[in-house]
Amino acid sequence: MKRRQILKVEGLMLRFGGLQVLNDLSLTVREGQIVGLIGPNGAGKTSCFNCLTGIYQPQGGRVFFDGRDVSHLATHRRARLGMARTWQNLGVIDALTVTENVMLAQHQRAGYSALAGMLGLAGTWHRERELLRDAAEIVEYFGLEDVAHERTGELPYGVRKTCDMAMALASDPRMLLLDEPASGLSPEEALGLGATLRELRDRLKLTILMIEHHVPLVAEACDYVYVLNFGELLTEGKPAEIQRHPEVIAAYLGGAAEKNEPPEWPLRPEGATHGTA
Amino acid sequence: MATATMVLARVKVQRRFGLALRVTLVIALLALAALPLLLGGDVWAQRISRAAIYAVIGLSINTLTGHAGQISLGHQAFVGIGAFAAAFMASRLGAPLGFGLAAAAVAGALTAAAIGLVALRVTGLYLALVTLAFGLTAETTIFNWREFTGGGAGAFAPRPALVSSDHAFALLCLGVLGLVLYLDWRIVATKTGRALAAVRNDERIAATLGVNVTGYKLAAFSLSGLIAGLAGGLFAHWNQIVQAMDFEFQVALVWVLMTVVGGLRSRLGVILASAFFALLPLTLPNFLSGLPWQPPFLNEAVYHVLPPFIVVVMLLIVLRFFPGGFGQLLRPATRWLTNARTGARQ
Repeated sequence: MKRRQILKVEGLMLRFGGLQVLNDLSLTVREGQIVGLIGPNGAGKTSCFNCLTGIYQPQGGRVFFDGRDVSHLATHRRARLGMARTWQNLGVIDALTVTENVMLAQHQRAGYSALAGMLGLAGTWHRERELLRDAAEIVEYFGLEDVAHERTGELPYGVRKTCDMAMALASDPRMLLLDEPASGLSPEEALGLGATLRELRDRLKLTILMIEHHVPLVAEACDYVYVLNFGELLTEGKPAEIQRHPEVIAAYLGGAAEKNEPPEWPLRPEGATHGTA
Repeated sequence: MATATMVLARVKVQRRFGLALRVTLVIALLALAALPLLLGGDVWAQRISRAAIYAVIGLSINTLTGHAGQISLGHQAFVGIGAFAAAFMASRLGAPLGFGLAAAAVAGALTAAAIGLVALRVTGLYLALVTLAFGLTAETTIFNWREFTGGGAGAFAPRPALVSSDHAFALLCLGVLGLVLYLDWRIVATKTGRALAAVRNDERIAATLGVNVTGYKLAAFSLSGLIAGLAGGLFAHWNQIVQAMDFEFQVALVWVLMTVVGGLRSRLGVILASAFFALLPLTLPNFLSGLPWQPPFLNEAVYHVLPPFIVVVMLLIVLRFFPGGFGQLLRPATRWLTNARTGARQ
């Protein structure tokens, strides 16, 4: 049984001046899948996310979300359709506390207009208390209650990262775009994240597209993987197939593909460049 | 068991006593602040009106710069247009005060919204330059438009009978200040404040969280202009005559800097700093002429440029030692005063 396509990207083209960042990139994510987007540094993964969320306006190609063409929709409108994302360098607002950040993420379902809130109309006080209660629940679910009233700017990286994830979920998304969710985590924590993502997917009926370098996590969590290199789709397939794919090994390790035995792949993705290994 | 109950009882008593102490203290401070109005005669009533008007202007800048993170160096234009609109309504059309103030607010909001459209395209230094140029242009064009402003002679803005006395007018100004404070409080306490904080910190993050960045920026400009226009309307009736020279660039400079000195996003800090700079031009000449030794360069012209000079010096001190402004200095006190509530939340 084929599940419904929730995200479909057709022929994405993105240029910065003379630099071709994305070249004819197409990919599909089906409802309930966890899909990985991998590739060496500079392959255009984050740029792809920026095109999906509408932060970049690509020169060509179209983005469909849940069957609807959202190619020309503003970022906040796409967010309201249920597209949430986390950021490589964290999407928390430093000036706000953890609870306030989570409440900020609930912006689109606050259920009152900005004007009504400003004038202090009757319903808004009640709604605001409800939002606070929901936020407290989310904060507790993520184990952030000890720092709930601390400004995120003053918190360590790991906590802010958790807060970022809490925010992405607080917006009640249908699809999560995760930009390197395991960066900054220890290898054990990263593996634990795979289980968490699967649990979230099942419990909240989410679809997840994630950029990740941590291979064991990709292998464990993802149903399907797209490999990007120099802005082009190198290959796609199930994680196990990808790991054995000679071109992928070549892209990561730079021409080590003749060996019959696949190397432990990739050795150090952060440092791996296109030079000879 | 008995000890636990006793401890609990003591905590309760302390909290209740603390609350009573805080409430008493706030009431005492308010009473102290009201003393000049009650006992000070017309002079102090006028001064309090002026301080309240400045505080409204400070809160207008706080809305734009403090909450939305945008800069305006042309705020004198918004206030001035509000003032002339109120004067026009009062003297030419004979409209009641309420309509005049509403017209002032709308005029300020529309002007600021137009500038806000520019702010969607340029940010930071360039926005500062655009608003600066707008303010300077408004001074020489709109404010010298004879039919609207009366040209060099100025426009009259007589007070209606109800607020003709200085005391009644001071109460009106304080009432408007209270209203603006309420707005500011509700902005911070609802989704608007969080959305503006996101826009101020990172527009991309704000947008991916579903915040309409364009809309909130325009709204912040419009609201800031609305409050500034309202302050202008009050100023017109406070002075009872409005002239273009009341809204020179250096006034706007003092307003922006006094808000920073008071502390962006700190209501109390902004009010205190605004009141200080509202009263400075009134009290400074008396203070200086009372000095035993008169510097030879002191004259009318120097009095005129001293407030901008003083605000700049204060700004340097503030930025160096307490970047949060007066608000940061006052925070221990305000935190203690509101402790009952935050304590209950945890």
